[in-house]
Amino acid sequence: MTKNPRFRSGLLASLVPFGFNVERWSYVLHRASGVILIGYLAAHLFETFQLSMGQGAWANTMATLHSLGPLEMVGLWIVAGSALYHGANGIRLVLNEMFGMLMGRPIMPVYPYSPTSLGRNQKLAVWATTAVVLVLWLWAGLYLLAGLGVV
Amino acid sequence: MDKITLEVLRSGKKRTSYELKYRKGMTVLDALVEVREKQDSSLAYRHSCRMGICGSCGMNIQGVPRLACQTQVSTLGKETVKVEPLHGMRVIRDLVVDIDPFLTMHTSVKPYLIRENPSERDNSDREYRVLSEEVGRFLQFDFCIMCGLCYSACPTIALDPDYLGPQAIAQAYRYMADPRDEGWEERVELLDRPHGVWRCHVAGSCSFVCPKDVDPAKAIQLARVEVLKKRFLRKKPRAGSPLVSLVPVVAPKQGTKAPPFDFRKGEAK
Amino acid sequence: MAEVIDHDIIIVGSGLAGLRAAAEVMAASQGKGPTLAIISKLALMRSHSVAAEGGTAAVLYPEEGDSLELHAWDTIKGSDFLADQDSVWKFVTLCPEEMRQLERWGMPWSRREDGRIAQRPFGGHSYDRATFAQDKVGFFEMRTLYDKLQEYDGWSRYDETFVTSLVVEGGAFRGCTAIDMKTGRFVYFRARACVIATGGAGQIWKFTATSVSTTGDGIGLAYRAGLPIEDMEFMQFHPTGLIPTGILITEGARGEGGYLLNSKGERFMERYAPSKMELSPRDVVSRSIMREIAEGRGFKDEDSGLSYVRLDLRHLGREKIDSKLPFIKELSMKFVGIDPVEDPIPIKPTAHYTMGGVCVNDSGRVLDADSRQVKGLWAAGETACVSIHGANRLGSNSTAECLVYGRLVGRDVVRYLASEGTGPRDVVSPQVAKEETRIFDGLMKKETPSEDVYAIKAKLKEVMDRSVYVFREEAALTDAVREVRALKERFKGVRATDAGRQFNYNLQDVLEVDVMLDLAEVVALGALNRRESRGGHSRVDYPQRDDKAWLRHTIASRAESGPQFSFWPVRITMWKPVERKY
Repeated sequence: MTKNPRFRSGLLASLVPFGFNVERWSYVLHRASGVILIGYLAAHLFETFQLSMGQGAWANTMATLHSLGPLEMVGLWIVAGSALYHGANGIRLVLNEMFGMLMGRPIMPVYPYSPTSLGRNQKLAVWATTAVVLVLWLWAGLYLLAGLGVV
Repeated sequence: MDKITLEVLRSGKKRTSYELKYRKGMTVLDALVEVREKQDSSLAYRHSCRMGICGSCGMNIQGVPRLACQTQVSTLGKETVKVEPLHGMRVIRDLVVDIDPFLTMHTSVKPYLIRENPSERDNSDREYRVLSEEVGRFLQFDFCIMCGLCYSACPTIALDPDYLGPQAIAQAYRYMADPRDEGWEERVELLDRPHGVWRCHVAGSCSFVCPKDVDPAKAIQLARVEVLKKRFLRKKPRAGSPLVSLVPVVAPKQGTKAPPFDFRKGEAK
Repeated sequence: MAEVIDHDIIIVGSGLAGLRAAAEVMAASQGKGPTLAIISKLALMRSHSVAAEGGTAAVLYPEEGDSLELHAWDTIKGSDFLADQDSVWKFVTLCPEEMRQLERWGMPWSRREDGRIAQRPFGGHSYDRATFAQDKVGFFEMRTLYDKLQEYDGWSRYDETFVTSLVVEGGAFRGCTAIDMKTGRFVYFRARACVIATGGAGQIWKFTATSVSTTGDGIGLAYRAGLPIEDMEFMQFHPTGLIPTGILITEGARGEGGYLLNSKGERFMERYAPSKMELSPRDVVSRSIMREIAEGRGFKDEDSGLSYVRLDLRHLGREKIDSKLPFIKELSMKFVGIDPVEDPIPIKPTAHYTMGGVCVNDSGRVLDADSRQVKGLWAAGETACVSIHGANRLGSNSTAECLVYGRLVGRDVVRYLASEGTGPRDVVSPQVAKEETRIFDGLMKKETPSEDVYAIKAKLKEVMDRSVYVFREEAALTDAVREVRALKERFKGVRATDAGRQFNYNLQDVLEVDVMLDLAEVVALGALNRRESRGGHSRVDYPQRDDKAWLRHTIASRAESGPQFSFWPVRITMWKPVERKY
């Protein structure tokens, strides 16, 4: 079995969305944003914990953060985008998974085939959430990236 | 275009190219058959019906799992057609993969009609009354030709080989939604497991690649709703449809001669 | 060395008849009985039965005007009176139960308004008795049977195992040799009972509706084991096969009201069968189409060089096509890019169903050349010739036959083993070693072959399409026999060029072509001998039916110099033959 593993399986293979539907892309983004958020959660907990370790520890933490330069704000901007995307897409997924909404009803397939679960309602939800996330993300960027001189 | 190159990743390791003359209406399967018959008789691939109903010729063409007999070379739009074995399965030889895990998952969801009284199903001479709308509730999921494309496209399958897979869950739902079925509890039990319906994260690739529009993604979410109904609402399944009692067909014992019959009367219709 | 595998019952072939027999064996033995193995050269759901489209005939509503006598009469008249009438009667009485049994097992039949099973008109039937499931009846029946088998534990499946020979000694079945494609091993299945259900031999022709796998393996197995095969010259050419592939467009399209049009736009069936028109039996329609083409009123496809006429479904409307004929729409759009709602579909008669096959009696038991039952051997479905379909099969009767005979054979096998006993036998026949040598030292010998098996296959198909098609005549048939014999000579120089062990499809192709050549010789010679026109066999030089000399079944047995022919009488118990007019 070890000599003949499954062809193109594993983590990397599951995250390849090329050639597939847009919902597959949002699946990959949902995973990526989730990982970023977990990473941020750990880092944030560590940073805030330093407050209880005394003035010196806190000052050191802040100095380390500020030494990153523009990366600090850009990083926070990415985290903001991840939170926005993961939350909005998450609502769409809750509608799909818990209530069976946006999927359409069982129909009699008519050629040329177009599955209702990837049909008008689902696509509307995907693009609507993407639009809302983009707008809010760019707006967040106006605040977070103000000091960089880019915006 | 008048020439195409078929690039086959044989056994998932060796990339071999074959040059062919393009014919109008040529499908990828036509190209493969021509390669085996005229160029390289050792190229192994499955095929049978060549009309998209048997499900043998599933393979990964230009990165997406498709049925080779239905994929026109012209719609792919390129002069080089890249063919690989189906992803997510063990490769046995060239383009032939091991579909046994896929078939085992299907068997494990009890894909047959369950009645509380089995003799009603096996030893009776009556039929169930089912209205067209009730058939419509599960018919779409019954079009599955078991080609394995959805299983190959599913990202959860790539990660977790113990996952039931879109085909098995869709078939479990097909029987749950059948008004003649009384096995709702059992099937919910089978789906409500760690590697069951909860592993689906609605990537939708299964429905995207399905050649028969079975829409397994929809079936899985509908199945999940049923599982939630049982968990949270403690909802009882609806009663199965009743047997229609009707006069059995008059069937003389085997071997009796037919009664005299004026065939001219029959023909006058 | 061959690996020996013991089972009590083996079923070779996993189409409708094979799966139905398996379901019956499992149901009858309640899991406590004989061990069952299903062997197929494809995976179990891939058999050609899934492509059956139109419907399954049965008398479901005798209270509404249908009757068993009418179904029997339609079948017998449709067979051009070559069918064995007592078998037909047994068959029609058992059809209705099969429909209802499948329904209780989960089959999604199309329904009427009141929720009961719907039926539609079909060619040659004088009552609308084709039970249908949209237009994929064979597919749904296969799904239902396959799913039903998943319920039972006590059976083994040998997918992708190619059976190469049948061992029949002393008038009894002993076992069969096979190649396991997954590993390349040579295997001997030793069993007490065997059911052959491998389907027909449509792939002998080039323009055919059948799958690539329909190469007549089962018929060839019996023929090479010295058993007789019956009525091979009767091949049904289904009128509506899509240009240029031959893919089937169901008769249900005409049943729902489709028209056949020639190049002048006329419904030419008026001239040949004014009362039934497009719903005449298939051989009548096929001949009419070929005549229209021969007289210059057909179209010609530039790319493939094939002539055709048109099937017009436009007047049915989008809704009817989408609900009753969705698969036709898909095939037509996918393979020729034509939407049947907008344009007519190009079609031509295509080789479809083998009326002939292994000689069996009306319980499905295989008979030898002296009409004695071979112990432990059955055949069912298209492989068998009972004969129910005689010289021409009515549409929707074949799926019905597979189901009825699958069940009869399944029951008979269990009954046979109850008296015969179960458990493995001790002896392995010396034929097994001989077969292994023939394949592995002969066909797989590592030397450059002097002949290309694919060139031989292509030539065979071309010869059959040209000379042994809808219309046949003496000179062309004599040519065909000569050419097939030449091809058989050439075949002696064929070797498998692929030396791989696993999934050696090249070896499978070689073994299949070997059988196809044998069967083609029987078909061509049988057609040459039969100097009359009956059902699917039309001789231009003998256009009349000749009941005095030719109301008999052609029986072919293998001999050194080629097939030896004898004849068996037709069992006429109900109606005397009359003129067949529609």
